[in-house]
Amino acid sequence: MEPWVIATGLIFVYLVATIVLGVVANRRMSVDMEDFLLYGRKAGFIVLYLTVVATFHSAFAFLGSGGFFYTHGVGFWMAGTWTVLVGAITYVLGTRIWALGKAFGYVTPADMLADFYESEAVRVMVAVVSVVFTILYIQVQAKGLGYIINIASGGRISLEVGTLVLLAVAGTYLVVGGLRAVYWTDVLQGVWMYVAVWVGALVLSYELFGGPLELWRAVAEQRPDLLSLPGPEGFFTPGMWLGMTVTLSFGIVFQPHMLIRYYTAVDAKTLRLLGATTPIYLMTLYIPAAMVGLGGALVIPGLEVPDTIFPELLFRYAPPLLTGVILAGATAAAMSTLDSILHANMTVLTRDVYQRYVAPDRSQAHYVRVGRAIVALLLVVGFFLSVKTFDFLVVLVTLSGAGALQLMPGIVGVCFPGGRTFTRAGVLAGVGVGLTVLYLTLVVVPHPMGLHGAIWGLLANAAVAVVVSVFTPGPSAETVRRVHGEIEEFVYGRSEG
Amino acid sequence: MFAPMNTRPGYRSHLRPRTREGWIALVAFLLLFALAMPPVTHTVLDRVEPWILGMPFLYVALLTVYVALIGVLIWAYRRNV
Repeated sequence: MEPWVIATGLIFVYLVATIVLGVVANRRMSVDMEDFLLYGRKAGFIVLYLTVVATFHSAFAFLGSGGFFYTHGVGFWMAGTWTVLVGAITYVLGTRIWALGKAFGYVTPADMLADFYESEAVRVMVAVVSVVFTILYIQVQAKGLGYIINIASGGRISLEVGTLVLLAVAGTYLVVGGLRAVYWTDVLQGVWMYVAVWVGALVLSYELFGGPLELWRAVAEQRPDLLSLPGPEGFFTPGMWLGMTVTLSFGIVFQPHMLIRYYTAVDAKTLRLLGATTPIYLMTLYIPAAMVGLGGALVIPGLEVPDTIFPELLFRYAPPLLTGVILAGATAAAMSTLDSILHANMTVLTRDVYQRYVAPDRSQAHYVRVGRAIVALLLVVGFFLSVKTFDFLVVLVTLSGAGALQLMPGIVGVCFPGGRTFTRAGVLAGVGVGLTVLYLTLVVVPHPMGLHGAIWGLLANAAVAVVVSVFTPGPSAETVRRVHGEIEEFVYGRSEG
Repeated sequence: MFAPMNTRPGYRSHLRPRTREGWIALVAFLLLFALAMPPVTHTVLDRVEPWILGMPFLYVALLTVYVALIGVLIWAYRRNV
């Protein structure tokens, strides 16, 4: 049997498995919003663990990270800093968000911020930032999926058809089974992608170099420039290192598909254990990525698109069956992020827009139906964006990683009681200025003085938020006592307000 | 008049730990994290030799710091910090 038949066949086996899981999830689902949108707030450790790590690691981690090592060398091992930080953020901040969600019935990030800052403008701002800066990821993941199936089939399935099929599969199991289906498929995807990338990298390192240690020796002899900072093209400067650490930890955690996961935990202990242990998975996935990228730089130098290094190596040097399993793992990496973003955008649009402003007093079943319709709409938009190229999309994708980071001052103000906090005007002004500075320092004059644009945006945001908050009215004492009192009691077991 | 930032019930800051274990976890995490950040990475750690267990120094040094950071998180979990 030809390699492309095996590779494509295994991807379709995997896709069928995800749809079956969606159908099974549907049979367990009750028709209410908490179940459809938040897994009924009953996610246990294993399910939550695998959905968080699978969602965090997208097609980029599977394909793009190999490309980064290939081009910029061992500096990309800095990825460990943001994976560990994600664990700490979950441990400290995620548990507080969970406690507030449980106490006050929050479903979206905007629910929490609008409640504390007593502002519909804050709700709208958070909803807009949440959707605008993640909807583009649908396009990125969809393109990645089309690309993977295009490669697996040896070009026999076009990028457009591949994208359409995989979007349709993700949309189907999301519509059928809600967040429960997303979580269950994420379990499959999380295990599959981890095993696939490790097995693939080890097989290739033994096949090409005689083992991982021999691979390191070969890199030192043939391409020593890949083993030092800031790398062959001078990418990993101190400012870039710092900026990527902050952007790819806080910036990703503050995106709605990650924040909503905190609401779904069954209890705080589960979330704390999640925070303490997720870095193990997240960080160790970059170990095989380093083998692939650095080894690939020796074996196939001069690739026009470095992100293709993993599939290129597989097709040239790995058995067809293994190649199929691994490309299905790449599909899993992209789909687990795609379905979560689809779900998060659906949740925000259903809850923060439709239920709040269009039809406030309808039945739970009505909102579930509307949510499903919104998923269908998002799929059409995602497909359209993925097969067309617009200049403004390129700009938005550049901004998207750091866009959600601008919610940081507002979220910290809610979750960390103290003598002072931000005001609604401070938060709004901070986000406005932060996004403007972000645009200037990422697009117009990229990374001034060697410091990542995201840091400039965040610094400007925080400074404006503080100054404006000094001169504007804050949340009422009653709201502060209610929200911060809840956190005080949750963390220290008493309220001293 | 303006209503300044702090016209609200006075909770003690949650940015400062209130227990000994909390301080240990915070300080240990920050110190270790600093080892994986510039300028340490781009000066002290930026070298290939000595090779450790067959791998370059920078790679192993960062891996060690990451493992230690995860150790702090697990220690905090076990101590219920």
